[in-house]
Amino acid sequence: MDTSGPAAFVNGEILNMYVGRRVRTVVQAQREEGGLLIGQSTDGHQLTIKGASGAPMLRYVEIIGIAESNQTIRAEVCTDFGENFDPAPFNGLCKLANGQMKDMFL
Amino acid sequence: MDSDAAMSVTVTPGAVAHIMENPSPNTDTEAVPEIVVQVVDLKPVGARLSFTASDGKDKIKAILPSQYVQVVRAGNLQNLGLVRILDYTCNNVADRPDKVLIIIKCEVVCKSMDSEIKSEADKQEEEKKPAIVLTPKEEEESVVVFKPTNALPPAPVALKPKQEVKSASQIVNEQRGNAAPAARLAMTRRVHPLIALNPYQGNWVIKVRVTSKGNLRTYRNARGEGCVFDVELTDEDDVIAVYGEQLRVLVYRLGTQIQATMFNEAAKKFYPMFELGKVYYISKGSLRIANKQFKTVHNDYEMTLNENAVVEEAEGETFIPQIQYNFIKIDQLGPYVGGRELVDVVGVVQSVSPTLSVRRKIDNETIPKRDIVVADDSSKTVTISLWNDLATTTGQELLDMVDSAPIVAIKCLKVSDFQGLSLSTVGKSTVVVNPDLPEAEKLRAWYCSSLKHFYFLVLSVILSTLFLDIILLNRYDSEGKGTSMASVGSDMGGSRAGGARLMYTDRVFLSQITSDPTLGQDKPVFFSLYSFISLIKPDQTMWYRACKTCNKKVTESVGSGYWCEGCQKNDAECSLRYIMVIKVSDPTAEAWLSLFNDQAERIVGCSADELDRIRKEEGDDTYLLKLKEATWVPHLFRVSVTQNEYMNEKRQRITVRSEAPVDYAAEAKYLLEEIAKITAC
Repeated sequence: MDTSGPAAFVNGEILNMYVGRRVRTVVQAQREEGGLLIGQSTDGHQLTIKGASGAPMLRYVEIIGIAESNQTIRAEVCTDFGENFDPAPFNGLCKLANGQMKDMFL
Repeated sequence: MDSDAAMSVTVTPGAVAHIMENPSPNTDTEAVPEIVVQVVDLKPVGARLSFTASDGKDKIKAILPSQYVQVVRAGNLQNLGLVRILDYTCNNVADRPDKVLIIIKCEVVCKSMDSEIKSEADKQEEEKKPAIVLTPKEEEESVVVFKPTNALPPAPVALKPKQEVKSASQIVNEQRGNAAPAARLAMTRRVHPLIALNPYQGNWVIKVRVTSKGNLRTYRNARGEGCVFDVELTDEDDVIAVYGEQLRVLVYRLGTQIQATMFNEAAKKFYPMFELGKVYYISKGSLRIANKQFKTVHNDYEMTLNENAVVEEAEGETFIPQIQYNFIKIDQLGPYVGGRELVDVVGVVQSVSPTLSVRRKIDNETIPKRDIVVADDSSKTVTISLWNDLATTTGQELLDMVDSAPIVAIKCLKVSDFQGLSLSTVGKSTVVVNPDLPEAEKLRAWYCSSLKHFYFLVLSVILSTLFLDIILLNRYDSEGKGTSMASVGSDMGGSRAGGARLMYTDRVFLSQITSDPTLGQDKPVFFSLYSFISLIKPDQTMWYRACKTCNKKVTESVGSGYWCEGCQKNDAECSLRYIMVIKVSDPTAEAWLSLFNDQAERIVGCSADELDRIRKEEGDDTYLLKLKEATWVPHLFRVSVTQNEYMNEKRQRITVRSEAPVDYAAEAKYLLEEIAKITAC
């Protein structure tokens, strides 16, 4: 298994800690502005995703990519999670993975 | 004389049947009986002539050898004429169910007739005959598929009385007189479809694409040294229009494949010429029945090209035949282990190893190799070893994109028992990344949906790890007979959607039940579980015969029918109701649960009567499949735990009282709450 580029579970707030590194998160697509996708993170922040065009609005999209700033991610992979996704558990997971359970994750 | 003349001006009834029953007459020992047939649909095919031989009632496709072409050209035999067949052979053409009559020797009886001879009975039958229904064939290459094509006009032509077969190129030629020069050139070069090739016809030209090129290998045998290589050739997909009584049917024929082998001088000559993916006109090859032991291409014949063969590159000609796959699901690979048959596989790439160098024992040569792990929707993974170029170039490509979970379709893999079961590429294997196939779409959809639940699984792993930590460090005090057992999750309360509410009360892990044998001693204790079904034993007694009225067990009564003790009556019929044990698993333990009819029906997906019918009528395989589909599915169970005594031993019995499907969002919320509780202290 290739573990050389692990992606950390992040939400809007935690993204800050991983600028320049590979992250994974789920956002709800809000609107598109000139090729950039504006999505709402699971903790209510607005994030800008580069390279994730074509996502239908109000659907949840998983983004894996490099965090360019504390609000921008350059997407490498996008996966459509549809409309039926509860953001709350994911948010909880992000907090655990970066908080108490940090040792369990790469 | 007169009667002779009269006799010869018609066909021999039953001639076709006779030919088919005697496909290879021995003309040395006896003369062929009088066979006169009418020549219908006479048309040139390459350097010979094909026609349909009719005896007034039956028809058979036939080929006239090249020496009769002059006869026809001179007008001494025309369409609707009669011929007496003196020597023939009747052949099975590769992959076609119908036979072909090869005329070896014949003489013209009557050069032309006014019309097609039909027996009276046949005429009436034809009027009533429905439109042609073409049944799909078994083999891939001749799949009959109704597909629209751009080359042909959109509106179907109305009623045509005769049954005629025209190839698409003929139709297009007729309709587009002003075709571009290049296209016309291709069509005037009479190209034979690969499917029509057989060893008895020497004069053919085929237009094929090299879809696989083997390596130039050297060999040594009793006669000395030599070299050999082979190629796989595929011809163009084609559309044939078949005119029936009521409608025109377009039959899409996928390109056929044939293997062509070249030895020594021919191998050296053609090896640099043949390039993978390019199109060539080939003629003067020889055909023979394929050696089933070595063939990997679906064709009854195989071709050999010697130095006299003519190979010409078709300039500017390209057709890309669809690569025809026959995908095997990863969990179905078992039977192929150690065999010669190569398999095709499609799946999602989960990991790619770095390139390794392997030293071959035979000649000490080092070859690059890379292992990839691929998963498909049979929920199984397999390791595929890519060798040589596939390891270096394609392997690198996959490594670069592994995070995006690319889908690969790989053709021609060898199945070996290395590390249980693994796949390996061979010289002719091809790898297509993210192919444009419906199977790839399906896999992508399966993968995405399983990805969503991934986060939920991560949470459950966190919770179970925490829980197990507590168990190991701080054993539960079991004085209070089950009270401590329920403490994890007992004060859930909260608001949960109606029916599922119960599934969060007294939620435990399996180990909490199995590790406490004192549970349920006096009266049953109830718990909720989230676990996966890990096994449904197919050879257990799964049901009992039940009374249709009260569902109690019935016994077979003397005579016929069933006796119900509860209703005190006999019934001719009974229903089957499930009673079985299933094995379930969760991150902490495994256990056997007793399962009854209502929940079993939901889990298996059909009633006991239906499953019994499936087992009897559709066979064991379908029955096993049905059980397999229920395996590794997670469920929420409400169970009761009691203690039984069996042979002086106390045993724990866990019975399913109700079942509910998993609501992942609700589960995830529950897990988070539990984690919070555990980590709070």
